[in-house]
Amino acid sequence: MSLSETATAHSATSLDWDLIRRRGKSVFAHGIVLGLVGVMLLPLIYMVMMSFKTSTEIAQDPLGLPNTLYWGNYMEALASMGYVRSVINSMGITVSVILVVVFAGAMAAYPLARLENRISRVIVMVMALGLATPNFVTITPIYVIFRDLGLLDSYLGIVLAFAALKLPLAVFFYTSFIAAIPIELEEAARLDNCNNWQVFWHVIRPLLAPVTATLSLFVMIMVWNDFIYPLLLLTDKDKLTVMIAVYKFVGNTGIDPTKLFPAAVLGSIPLLIMFAVFQRKIMAGATAGAVK
Amino acid sequence: MEKPMTSILGLALAAGLSPAAAGAQTVLDVVAWKGNEAEPAGMPELIAKFEAENPDIDVDLTFVARKDVDKVIPPRLQGGNPPDVTMVDSSLVDLWGGAGFLTDLGTDSDWYGQMIPAVRDVMTSDGEILVYPLEVIGMGNFVNMDLLAQAGIDNAPVTIDELKSACQALAAEGIAPMIFAGGFPAMLYVGANGLDPNGVSAAEYGSGERTFVDDENFNTSLDSVRDLVEAECFDPKLQAGLDPWATAPQEFRSGNVAILPQGAWNIGNFSSVEGLNFQFAPMPSRFTEHGLALDLVGPGWAIPRDAANAEAARKWIDFFTEEENLNVFLEAEGAYSPFTGGVSTMPDLAEPYTAARDAGSLILWPFSTLEFPKILQSEWEDSITGFLLNIDADNEETLERWDYAVEDSM
Amino acid sequence: MRARYSLYLFTVPALLVIGLFFVHPIILTFDMSLTNFAGIGEAKDVGWRNYERIFGRDRYLREIWLTLWYTVIVVSALTVTGLFFAAMLHRLPLIRNFSRAALYTPAMMSFVVVGYVWQFLYSPLNGGINVALRDLGLGAWEQNWLGDPAIALYSVAFTQIWMFTGFTCAIFLAGFAGIPEEIGEAGRLEGATSWQRFRYLELPLLGPSITVSVMLTTIGTLKTFELPFILTKGGPDGATRLLSIDIIDNLFGQYKFGFASALSIVMLVIVLIVAFIQNKVLRDREQA
Repeated sequence: MSLSETATAHSATSLDWDLIRRRGKSVFAHGIVLGLVGVMLLPLIYMVMMSFKTSTEIAQDPLGLPNTLYWGNYMEALASMGYVRSVINSMGITVSVILVVVFAGAMAAYPLARLENRISRVIVMVMALGLATPNFVTITPIYVIFRDLGLLDSYLGIVLAFAALKLPLAVFFYTSFIAAIPIELEEAARLDNCNNWQVFWHVIRPLLAPVTATLSLFVMIMVWNDFIYPLLLLTDKDKLTVMIAVYKFVGNTGIDPTKLFPAAVLGSIPLLIMFAVFQRKIMAGATAGAVK
Repeated sequence: MEKPMTSILGLALAAGLSPAAAGAQTVLDVVAWKGNEAEPAGMPELIAKFEAENPDIDVDLTFVARKDVDKVIPPRLQGGNPPDVTMVDSSLVDLWGGAGFLTDLGTDSDWYGQMIPAVRDVMTSDGEILVYPLEVIGMGNFVNMDLLAQAGIDNAPVTIDELKSACQALAAEGIAPMIFAGGFPAMLYVGANGLDPNGVSAAEYGSGERTFVDDENFNTSLDSVRDLVEAECFDPKLQAGLDPWATAPQEFRSGNVAILPQGAWNIGNFSSVEGLNFQFAPMPSRFTEHGLALDLVGPGWAIPRDAANAEAARKWIDFFTEEENLNVFLEAEGAYSPFTGGVSTMPDLAEPYTAARDAGSLILWPFSTLEFPKILQSEWEDSITGFLLNIDADNEETLERWDYAVEDSM
Repeated sequence: MRARYSLYLFTVPALLVIGLFFVHPIILTFDMSLTNFAGIGEAKDVGWRNYERIFGRDRYLREIWLTLWYTVIVVSALTVTGLFFAAMLHRLPLIRNFSRAALYTPAMMSFVVVGYVWQFLYSPLNGGINVALRDLGLGAWEQNWLGDPAIALYSVAFTQIWMFTGFTCAIFLAGFAGIPEEIGEAGRLEGATSWQRFRYLELPLLGPSITVSVMLTTIGTLKTFELPFILTKGGPDGATRLLSIDIIDNLFGQYKFGFASALSIVMLVIVLIVAFIQNKVLRDREQA
């Protein structure tokens, strides 16, 4: 209380001075953070620059700006990537996986976060097992299961496979965050005779928006960038993802930056756009949820 | 009761889905680690030609990088749903063939009789041939002739003395003479100076019959690496930081270094760099004045046992037995034919290497013939890097590790 | 009470999937770890021999320590950098969304691409970092980043930290978003400095985010093999050979699936133990 008194007294006497100082501090803070973010982006800028250079330019002047924007690398990459089709495939698969993972994950996490007993602990342990499993361990069993279910070379199959792979992450994620939601919110709904499903859907789900945004971003990049599953489960050229198209530029015995980097940039641009759109949408949802 | 039901269901499904039953095209599912953008290997041209000759077959070539083949193909082989044709190398033939997943292509064919005898011996096991070999590919020194000329040298070095004087001349001009990364380039030099083409066979080391640690040839080989350091060919400590597959070729491509030990598969890529005037030469070796050609037995085609379109797969292989078709592949690869006779498709810039080969100064790289066990390869990569980092240590410390690796493989 | 237990029905789809795709393969893997399986064909039982070999040799114990040390470096750095950026961005709504996206971009690239970009940055001859140091007149600081056994591990770790800072930052920002406005407001009115607000008001409320972030990065880092594989392949001479690199090498370099399975099981157990301890410690902290 004394603290607040001095604070108000202080601001009353030297308000202008304080304001200027705060402004200055704020500009300074913005500058520092933006500067650091810029430094973090340097390696990517370096990559984009390399993607515009000719082979000879790259090593003669590795850090310099390209003499001219050499679009030839991009033209060559585009010509052989089947770009539009593979980007659409990647987007479709990624979004479907996110929907499945978010839905099944949040649902499974709800009881695990709310019922603290032995059953929950056992189930959580089983989920943790899923998180801890090295991915390559599951390759052969997954292939066999999908073959037996007739899901090879189908969008449904690849979506389910990715969803399975990312589900433990989602459950883990949601369990932690649901546990932090005050139980009182639910109790009110239960008094209104809402059943489990209604409580989950109308009370819990809206509160999960920020977490869902974050989780979706993680799932998005992992699915987008994986190429082992598409290689394993898809054979039809028309179903392949954009990372497979990028992957074709990686040699067995090394890489040529003028080939790989333009393809990599092209492969990641749609992801960046999706990210931006997604971030805006979900964040809007998050604040809407908070207002309610 | 359940088993037959599912298999009948499976059969019905397969029949319903298989294009052959619908009277349409056969789709030939080919998996290879070539034919992508990085290593086209003439595949687009060959596929077009094959499809023109076989209008009822569509080739669906899937690129899977060599290291991912190990992840992606075994599940398909084991799941009974393999590609119709798959690219294999000797270790895959050994592994998949040994487990019975590959079809015997028959030793009675014409091409079998024409194979280079040494390659034939490597590829045949128990009277069966499971692979149609596509290439034998050279490994040696890429030499930037313009940089050499700046140091007053006109020919790519093929003896150790020539190499040393080239290094000294280059270093005096302020040009980095050589890349010698332990992960691969150094292995080529050490191998070329340890394996006597007319002496002890590589298999003797690989089987543990002869130990590396007591072997004079390999001790001398490591000693001669120190001579190269003395001649300012390279800074041994720096080599560990270079990736032999990514940054090292890039240094050569851009003319920062005069000599790069690598495989001939880089010829196409290096040739695409404007103004890079280079030759491909055999590895200087104390066993020969011609330089030693290190031939790698390259990949080939195999037909999995459960291939759905085995007949079309045969046609695909038959297509490659035509010299003119195989040559398209070889020319794009910068490789030699695994068959005797025929015209060479190698470019002029590989003349020094071809000359050594023609003079019989040649070994088959023991890792590609499985004379050296696979585990020894990673031990060479590690231990030669270790040797370069600590070049004054006893040879024994390096050589002993090779012997342990061989022991481990048994 | 019955209604509450029926809640478990919600977990059925997830459990089915996890049982089918994780528990089942792990059992298969354990089976395999008692054989000399080569990845294909027949396997022969060898009992516990693979495990005896793992625990009988310095090499694997060294790799386990190296993996744990690498994880400690990466996870602590990621937590600090993530918290730093999240706390700053929480206070700077103007640039929050842009910066979050920008920080997250490295994680959006695939490992293959990131690995090769850094390969070119770290290259000792004309690599981006050394050339930049030379240009800035700091030539004395040039290093053989990936080739010097004393620093290679840290170079690899740095790349991993660079790649995933945006990841932890995003988790913490989600945590900050869950802190009611009034709390920060109250702190400000009390005249608390930015640091005090962070330390005494926000940090305690970030419990769940810290748990999630630390556990996910720990598990992810313990299992990681992509970056070390592309950057150094475990070299120079084993200086960066994490347990996961050895598993990959055994699986696909040497076709020792049986032995690699045993290594995988060992890794799985390590991950579970670490995760269990962390979970306990972090949850207790949350409650306190």
